[in-house]
Amino acid sequence: MEIATSRPGRLSLTIFFWLLVAFLYVPIAFLALFSFNDGDPSFPLSGFTTHWYGDVFANRVLMSSLGRSASVATASSLIGVTLGVLMSFALLRRRFFGKPAVSALVFSPLVIPYLVFGISLLLLFALVDKLLADWFGVYIGLGLHAIVIGHVVVTLPYTILTILPLLERLSISLEEAAKDLGANPQETFRRVTLPLLTPALVSAFLIAFTLSFDEYAIASFLAGSEQTWPVYLFAQLRVPSLLPQLIAVSSVVFIASMLLILSAEIGRRIAERRYGREFSAQGLASSR
Amino acid sequence: MTDMDHFLARRLNRRGFMRMAGVTTVGAAVLAACKKAENVGGTATATGAGAHPPIAEEPGKLQVLDWSGYGNGDYYPDKERLGLWQQYADETGDTPQFTLFANDDAAFTKAATGSVKFDVVHPCGYKYKDWVDLGAVQPWDTSLIPNFPALNPKLEQSGIVDGKQYFIPLDWGFIAPIVNLDHVDVKEETFGILFDDRYEGKISWVDTSNMMYIGGLFLGVTDPFNMTDEELTEVRDFLISKKHLVKFLWNQSYDFWLSFKKEEVWIGYAWPDTVGYADAEGMNYLYMEPKEGRVSWVCGMGLAADTSNYRHSHAYVDSWASTKAAEFLLAWYYYGHTNTKADLSVVSPGVVAALGLDDPTVLDPPRAIPESFIPRRDLYQQYWSEVLAS
Amino acid sequence: MTTADMTASRTSWKRRERRTTAGLLSAPMLWLALFFVAPVLYVAAYSIGAIKLFPTDAGVISFEDWNHFLRGGSVYMGLFWKSIRISLTVSVVVVVLAYPIGYFLALCVRKMKYVLLLVVIVPFLTSFLLRVLAWKVILGDRGVVNSLLFSLHVRSPDDPVSWLLYSQFAVMLVLAYVWVPFVALPIFVSLDNLDRSLLEASSDLGAGRWRTFWRVTLPLSAPGVVAAFVFVFIPTIGEFVTPLLVGGPSGYLFGNAIQDLFTRGTDWQSGSVLAMFLLIVVAGLMALFGRFVQVRSVATD
Repeated sequence: MEIATSRPGRLSLTIFFWLLVAFLYVPIAFLALFSFNDGDPSFPLSGFTTHWYGDVFANRVLMSSLGRSASVATASSLIGVTLGVLMSFALLRRRFFGKPAVSALVFSPLVIPYLVFGISLLLLFALVDKLLADWFGVYIGLGLHAIVIGHVVVTLPYTILTILPLLERLSISLEEAAKDLGANPQETFRRVTLPLLTPALVSAFLIAFTLSFDEYAIASFLAGSEQTWPVYLFAQLRVPSLLPQLIAVSSVVFIASMLLILSAEIGRRIAERRYGREFSAQGLASSR
Repeated sequence: MTDMDHFLARRLNRRGFMRMAGVTTVGAAVLAACKKAENVGGTATATGAGAHPPIAEEPGKLQVLDWSGYGNGDYYPDKERLGLWQQYADETGDTPQFTLFANDDAAFTKAATGSVKFDVVHPCGYKYKDWVDLGAVQPWDTSLIPNFPALNPKLEQSGIVDGKQYFIPLDWGFIAPIVNLDHVDVKEETFGILFDDRYEGKISWVDTSNMMYIGGLFLGVTDPFNMTDEELTEVRDFLISKKHLVKFLWNQSYDFWLSFKKEEVWIGYAWPDTVGYADAEGMNYLYMEPKEGRVSWVCGMGLAADTSNYRHSHAYVDSWASTKAAEFLLAWYYYGHTNTKADLSVVSPGVVAALGLDDPTVLDPPRAIPESFIPRRDLYQQYWSEVLAS
Repeated sequence: MTTADMTASRTSWKRRERRTTAGLLSAPMLWLALFFVAPVLYVAAYSIGAIKLFPTDAGVISFEDWNHFLRGGSVYMGLFWKSIRISLTVSVVVVVLAYPIGYFLALCVRKMKYVLLLVVIVPFLTSFLLRVLAWKVILGDRGVVNSLLFSLHVRSPDDPVSWLLYSQFAVMLVLAYVWVPFVALPIFVSLDNLDRSLLEASSDLGAGRWRTFWRVTLPLSAPGVVAAFVFVFIPTIGEFVTPLLVGGPSGYLFGNAIQDLFTRGTDWQSGSVLAMFLLIVVAGLMALFGRFVQVRSVATD
């Protein structure tokens, strides 16, 4: 692109790029390095060991917090994807009064500070608990269910943003073609729309899962007695005694989440490219 | 001919959805009403052991609202259990569930807002009245606590509020400055060392509104726990002016200890556990007896007013009141315990002497000032927030 | 099918369509109404005293707290401006760092464009707390930087560089580190969508590369830059986790005050005032800059 940059300009941009990438990854690399260090995380290194990783598995509190985060993330992602599909259909394929307002409402969790949102849910649950206790003698309290509810709200915009583009590309003429060929609506949805949407659904699920798994602010207000992984991690960050174990877990979690995101992204692109090519309106017309 | 929309209409018809929602709500309400009837019948007045069902009928899964390191295994994974609640587990076969709080204010807020359910709570003396006033706790039946007679009667009296034994005091200790003598030159033992300009960036305060009364104590107000508005303003401004000396505010004592051990900070607001660790590490430290007097605290167990684990809770407190628990606290936290029969040889004689662990009179004036009920706690909190925000 | 049949089925289709629209919308909207709109309204009600924490207090609606906060009597307003100042600094730094990244990927790289973009973005999508942990390890008095300085004998172990951690510097550094990857995206998208022929035209008209950049590229990419700025500025105003971990006493920010008011004391009315204020500021900023932030076009490419 000679118009955009000169040769030295290009060189300096390249150097800057890789320096910044290094800056982004070096702290992560340090974490990985120290996870094998037989001692405190500081230089000079004390010797190679993998026993921190073993200690992690023995740490029941840590492991159970990871498990809880996984359940919360799964539940909220499943609900989030379901609601996201419904909303995407409504936004894309239906006309209704107040669509811009609804659209704004649905996407506004993207900008609300999680601090304020977490607090607002805390207040809501305090009220509901009080009412339930006074009227029905039932106590629910805070806990994982509250976190799931909060996470569904904040992941909904992301799931819609993932599903909507693919839904848009799926030509409506596909569904009409299926209908013309005699398929009833259940069949159309099950055998045509849903399979075509699957890559976006999976991608949306993975993104929502990652978001929920790592989410601290909302969980910190709603956790109750059962700590999720970020809440546990945060509590431990202020007590550096278990630091090496946390570092060991962090390397694993890092790599896992990076792989998840990469696969979600790659899968989504493959799907879009493939389906975009095969099922665009032109393609359909030309195949007839 | 049916089409996609008809299909959707059948699945997601709004009226159908509303009908379903209505049915479930009514159903839930009916079930809940039945449950409430049960509850109302079951909740007896909290006097007389006969009014409470036998322990086998209680749900178990005791909910304990406590400090970190007091049983949930944060610091001493197995020792905490063995020392503090193994007796309880052996007697009842139940495993307690812990909800943790960072400090008394956080615990109280959690309970006040109903965001946590608990059977047993572990606040400190100056907060007892707040809990009683909130209506969140009920008096204990000491006849159900076999270890109660072994507890120091004078200290147990401090758990009496409005004439009833609402709290069972168990652990006690001090608040005083600890200094690293290798780096700090102590001219006079006073709380003022926490505000000493010579040691900028080497000081740590606690991250609670307690700093307000510490400031008041140093500035010489009449009653640090009941300061006037002018005094509070004076303390606030004083703390703001000294804030730049502080490296960090600690939330957990162990957090402070690790920093003190690494000599990142040389001076700090400290509890006795730091003393024990410093002693074991062979550090050259001084746990001051300031001229203003150390501040002493006694913390105890409270029983939730609406608990359904009445007998379980008493068994838990009994486990905490045992000599085993006392020796755990002494050996690992260097805290005093109200059980007079505890074997003090688990602690080095030097520490026993330094902290007066064998002599509860060390908790009284003039050597120490008991941490007392603060009537205007919210105001203290507000002024402290302003210190933080400046 | 006769024409009559087709018309009939079309009208009934439209009727059914309206019903199913309601069906599609009901679940998500109900969820949002119950768990997003209602809680926020509840906070607003709290802030004016319409609802109290302890029912025993008089339920008098009062704007006293709002008054006190806005009229300069409160120390929290100063804290708010401190947070704005820090957010502003971080946002500017982040955008300045991210712009060359976007430029490089959009205009200088051909084949590996999206892969490299992913390389930049992926850290953002991994655990936030862990990335802060990494910096705690690096910046501490006995951390990576300082132990390196000790071993090189630049500083002695008694005299570490202590302003690296527990300071406003630490807060800004960590926030910038966290947000740079994310911010590169909208800048990249706007530069990627740039019409190359404009650049060619500019060059044909005799403009040098710098001039082309200043007069053509930068103005055209402005929407992306503004979007990027907004993407980092708005979330960081309410930031409380980073200050809590690396801020020390001087790194105490507006978000921390809000959190403390709700978790330490029972003065939830003051807390609600601050929380609502933050929300209003954020909403206002979004309304102001909303046209630059086209959510869909930024997220997809």
